[in-house]
Amino acid sequence: MPLLENGQIKEDNWQVAIEGEALPSGDVLVPLARLSEGLGRNNDGRLGVVLNAGDSVEELRSALPRLSSIQVTFPIFRDGRPFTQARALREHLHFEGEIRAGGHILPDQYEFLLRCGVNSVVVPEGVDAAVWQKAHETFSVAYQPSVLNEQPEGFAFRRKLL
Amino acid sequence: MDRRNNRRDAEGSSVITANRLLDGRIVWLAADGQWSPHIRNARVYSNVEIEDALKEQTASAQDNELVGVYGVQVSLSPTGPVPVTSRECIRAGGPSVHPDFTPEWQERPAVSPA
Amino acid sequence: MSHAPHSSLPVGHYAYDEVDRTFLKQRVAQFRDQVERRISGALTEEEFKPLRLMNGLYLQLHAYMLRVAIPYGVLNSGQMRTLAQIAQRYDRDYGHFTTRQNIQFNWIKLEDTPDILALLADADMHALQTSGNCIRNVTADQFAGAAADEVIDPRIHAEILRQWSTLHPEFTFLPRKFKIAISGSPQDRVAARFHDIGLMARKDENGRAVFEVYVGGGLGRTPIVGVKLRDDLPEEDLIAYLEAILRVYNEFGRRDNIYKARIKILVQALGVQEFRNRVNAEFVAMDRARYRLDEKIVAAIQARFGVPDFDPAGQAAEKLIQQRKADRAFDFWVRTNTHAHKQPGYVSVTISCKPAGGIPGDVTSAQMNLLADLADQLSFGELRITHLQNVVLGHVRQDKLYALWQTLDQNGLGTANVGFISDIVACPGLDYCALANARSIPIAQKLSERFASPELQREIGPLRLNISGCINACGHHHAGHIGILGVDKRGEEAFQITLGGAADQDTVSIGQIIGAAMSEDETVDAIARIIDTYLARRTAGEQFIDTCRRLGTAPFKDAAYAPA
Repeated sequence: MPLLENGQIKEDNWQVAIEGEALPSGDVLVPLARLSEGLGRNNDGRLGVVLNAGDSVEELRSALPRLSSIQVTFPIFRDGRPFTQARALREHLHFEGEIRAGGHILPDQYEFLLRCGVNSVVVPEGVDAAVWQKAHETFSVAYQPSVLNEQPEGFAFRRKLL
Repeated sequence: MDRRNNRRDAEGSSVITANRLLDGRIVWLAADGQWSPHIRNARVYSNVEIEDALKEQTASAQDNELVGVYGVQVSLSPTGPVPVTSRECIRAGGPSVHPDFTPEWQERPAVSPA
Repeated sequence: MSHAPHSSLPVGHYAYDEVDRTFLKQRVAQFRDQVERRISGALTEEEFKPLRLMNGLYLQLHAYMLRVAIPYGVLNSGQMRTLAQIAQRYDRDYGHFTTRQNIQFNWIKLEDTPDILALLADADMHALQTSGNCIRNVTADQFAGAAADEVIDPRIHAEILRQWSTLHPEFTFLPRKFKIAISGSPQDRVAARFHDIGLMARKDENGRAVFEVYVGGGLGRTPIVGVKLRDDLPEEDLIAYLEAILRVYNEFGRRDNIYKARIKILVQALGVQEFRNRVNAEFVAMDRARYRLDEKIVAAIQARFGVPDFDPAGQAAEKLIQQRKADRAFDFWVRTNTHAHKQPGYVSVTISCKPAGGIPGDVTSAQMNLLADLADQLSFGELRITHLQNVVLGHVRQDKLYALWQTLDQNGLGTANVGFISDIVACPGLDYCALANARSIPIAQKLSERFASPELQREIGPLRLNISGCINACGHHHAGHIGILGVDKRGEEAFQITLGGAADQDTVSIGQIIGAAMSEDETVDAIARIIDTYLARRTAGEQFIDTCRRLGTAPFKDAAYAPA
């Protein structure tokens, strides 16, 4: 499926590990259970991890310097755990690589994802990027700080978004 | 959807209800296929046949601008179907604490904005 | 003598600036777009539901219901007039004050809702987060900024929490709803220990706020009294610590069962110590500087609250004494419906929205407009909604009380029953609510008529009677000295009675069910016999709840189920 990043739809060049099959060469995303297998590859491309909503990001701590991408996954859009995972990856683990969000996500959640440190979203084929961009541009102010460290807007915890 | 909305006996009769998407008001599926605000117009199904009818109506709910299609068990009276539960009687007749707010209640002419 | 605010700032609540107004307009535009996408079918009902709920829009039994936020229960006269306008133009000419200090309208159309939200935004109001699995409207003491026993005005911190929780990126899809209450008096008037988080503010030796933090309380299906997590949380860590609690809840709270998803279940499952350890681990690890609640922030928010410009007391108190002597009915109303003010010559007035036979918490648009006028004339344009579904004028000069009472009495708002058995808290129940099992309003009406006599109510004394139409407990039945819970007996309505609940911080307790459910009329009679038992068995000066605690429920149960 394509990726939405910075308002653009682009092709996703990462492969996702297929259960029961050997890891392919090239850039590959593995589930947490196959992390050590992924780490054991011989410079075969970049490595990423797909987290389930119930996984603890702490388990990635030692492997983090070798990870280029981490996907947080929404089993359903109402399950908000991936927001906490993404924010923790940035705030606690200081992860600077790509955080992508996958699974069932509404455009209406896009700005929340960005403010929790997600930078790309796995979207269905044929999605209208304009709807997501519009969601990103809906608000010019937020009422609390985020890992993006936006500029203050006036007083208190208000932050400029646009 | 609340489980109570689908609680029906194996036997007996039911009618089909929903809320209109745009204004939320309660409607009942009538014999002519239209949705009426009045339960007295509702088509009565035997509970044997209602599941198929519900499936069909649920599938077309978006096209008909309806939400929450479900079946309501009724008994039959000379004035039409009467729901067997208090809940559905209140849905059919309006809140008991405002006797004027029946399904016949009409909005007063719109007040022009001040 | 004018009581108009002396500055342009509204008294008692935060004054919006252009940034806040722009935000609300953007929020309205966003919802307008979401409604269009729903109608076009681009959003399914399942996807749309959480989005509309986070704008306060429910689909209830007969129509959509819109719940409008009244942050910490405070609004100004202009805002009250806007609510009256909505009632008149978009609803059936009335509104219902809720147990979260909000107001809800029962006959709203989805297609009108964006316009209603725009009207609210023009009055600096919104319906943000009045529903949904997010941080809900923060509630506060209805006598904030006025009560003689107050240490800190909790509304400043309630506003800070309101802003911080508004469209919080991480906490908008929590396992379940999340309710915070804050009190700034040693006397808990917010039921702090029945909240997901309850905050009791006091001052440290330097005059800065510190907070007792209670967590994991709540009513509903599993009533639990909150436990103390911190005794002395410094003000500057307030946001960071709440972030830590919410992070732990968002990560570990159950999502497999809606009835076990509240934070209270997580606290019980982990145990208080383990829960505290996880919160502390998060708190220690987090970027505390980012969330530090600096004194400057508190000052900046406080600076946007208008304060009343009180007149000298003069002879106000003496005049009131004379008027009370001259009119016994007035004297009784003053005794029940006023609360001591810190400013000499002033009191806070609780206006009862519970007339005998009335619908608890319902007011007509005409009454809303009257309340707005009275607020302008007598209380610096400020009004408060209480979590017990009444209205408070916070700052009324004592020599204005008599005229106020007469006006209220002529308009169905003069009932002298605050804190008495007919000051009933009731949810909308099965007359309106899609979740309810039984109607709450008709039984409330029968009870308030049964105990309408002022003499009888005075004889009975302080008594909290709360009614919920289902186990979700929006009517807080477990917190009532007497509680009534509506149940569904094979499609028929029935009612259980609970006894011994109380929401006060130090003596908090959960009401216990005394026996099998009864019909509406049987329940009303049973409660009358419970009251008779209390009157017969009490010691001198003993209040109902104390007799209940002393004797246990057995004698009351015997009376309730005695053959007629």
